[in-house]
Amino acid sequence: MAQRTVIPFGPQHPVLPEPIQLKLTLKDEIVEEALPHIGYVHRGVEKAAERMDYTQNVFLVERICGICSFIHALCYCQGLERLMGLEVPRRAAYLRVIWSELHRLQSHHLWLGLYADAFGFESLFMEFWRSREMLMDIFEKTAGSRVIISACCIGGVRRDISDQHLQETLETLKMLEAAFDKSSEVMLNDYTVKKRTVGKGILPADKAILLGAAGPVLRASGVEQDARQTGFAAYDELRVEPVVETAGDCYARAKVRIRECRQSLDLVRRAIAGLPDTDIAVRPKGRPNGRTISRVEQPRGELLYFLAANGTQKLDRLRVRTPTFANVAPLVHMLPGCEVADVPVIVLSIDPCISCTER
Amino acid sequence: MMLSSVIRNLFSKPATRPFPVAVRTAPDGYRGAVEFEEDVCIYCGACATRCPANAICVDRVAKSLDFDPFKCVQCGACAEACKKGCVQLQIDYQHPVAAHSTVTFNGALKPPEAP
Ligand code: SF4
Ligand code: SF4
Repeated sequence: MAQRTVIPFGPQHPVLPEPIQLKLTLKDEIVEEALPHIGYVHRGVEKAAERMDYTQNVFLVERICGICSFIHALCYCQGLERLMGLEVPRRAAYLRVIWSELHRLQSHHLWLGLYADAFGFESLFMEFWRSREMLMDIFEKTAGSRVIISACCIGGVRRDISDQHLQETLETLKMLEAAFDKSSEVMLNDYTVKKRTVGKGILPADKAILLGAAGPVLRASGVEQDARQTGFAAYDELRVEPVVETAGDCYARAKVRIRECRQSLDLVRRAIAGLPDTDIAVRPKGRPNGRTISRVEQPRGELLYFLAANGTQKLDRLRVRTPTFANVAPLVHMLPGCEVADVPVIVLSIDPCISCTER
Repeated sequence: MMLSSVIRNLFSKPATRPFPVAVRTAPDGYRGAVEFEEDVCIYCGACATRCPANAICVDRVAKSLDFDPFKCVQCGACAEACKKGCVQLQIDYQHPVAAHSTVTFNGALKPPEAP
């Protein structure tokens, strides 16, 4: 007779970069139910944001997530700019796109590596992470730091990228692309990799919409939705077509991210080619007042900030909805029916960023 | 498919550096450790107001500045705020030390300049 067992997966688990616990109810080797528990890395960022000055908050929100720090700052600044009626100079908008797309590339490289590690492909993990170093070097050179780049400010960006650095960036991207071609080829076509990913953790399109999935998870299920279509920063001129796959399994999610990497490479090149020659920031005047919602596309999906300001130095409320939070419900739906050995791969396939989720 | 990478990796140098032997210097414009030029400071407190980490404490009356490098997140907001150019971010990172210490300097305690 089949025995039911409850196994705690996490919060500490070799494949999990960050702590989340899933209580897995197993019937023999098959998962019957998964119950997520979060709350291990809550830092109270939203509350801290109410206590700090609205300009200081730019540095605070960046620290919500280390992997897409720039995009958090962008989302926050964009909301405040709307409240204060600031028009960002075009060059700043383009630089924002360049740094955002480099962050997306960097984040997807990190994920592809971790994902390879989840099914035990250690050398592929190393290949992706070695390439990722090139991107970190670009950040260090252009923005002054590797991870928390602090390049965004209210009204524009804090520093310009010189022509020489732009050229160097293009050359680095050429090398990165050559390395990426090789590694992504393995990720997509290797027999063993496909054995572990094709048909695992399927999320049909109707369920993805119903459960509110976001980002690559949503697009891998065949739903065409990308917040970059709203045309924030310079995406109104650099049009972006959402990358869509239809299978909805782990393989499709990896494929979406790999194709997005190519898209980002293309976007960075187009943004550098069309970089206008204007100022890089306008000085914010006055204090923000009113309420607004700001949306941007993070590597993991759509990021949403709600800002309530009252005309003083401090905000009334800052609410952050991160894409991983949206993707936990779809994850819980994907797990039942899979084998326990596939759980790490499926969990990683949503690209969980728990620090983001808990803030 | 990985075979070409494996062969290439066998005959190439490691991607990492042997750290204490080969030290990498950060590029220009890197945001490293914060340093103050004591003589230039007018104790206006602009840096302290902008610092998101509350790492700087300025007493305008007593003319003293207290900086806690352990709270500092190397964002560079103080350097942007300082009109006197007396805060600078070094290219070098903040080195580890054995004990917690702060940097304090006090303009009032300086000996008056000779007339
Ligand atoms: S802003 Fe500059 S001059 Fe003013 S207190 Fe700070 S370091 Fe001194
Ligand atoms: S670099 Fe940032 S955190 Fe450090 S003292 Fe200056 S303002 Fe404060």
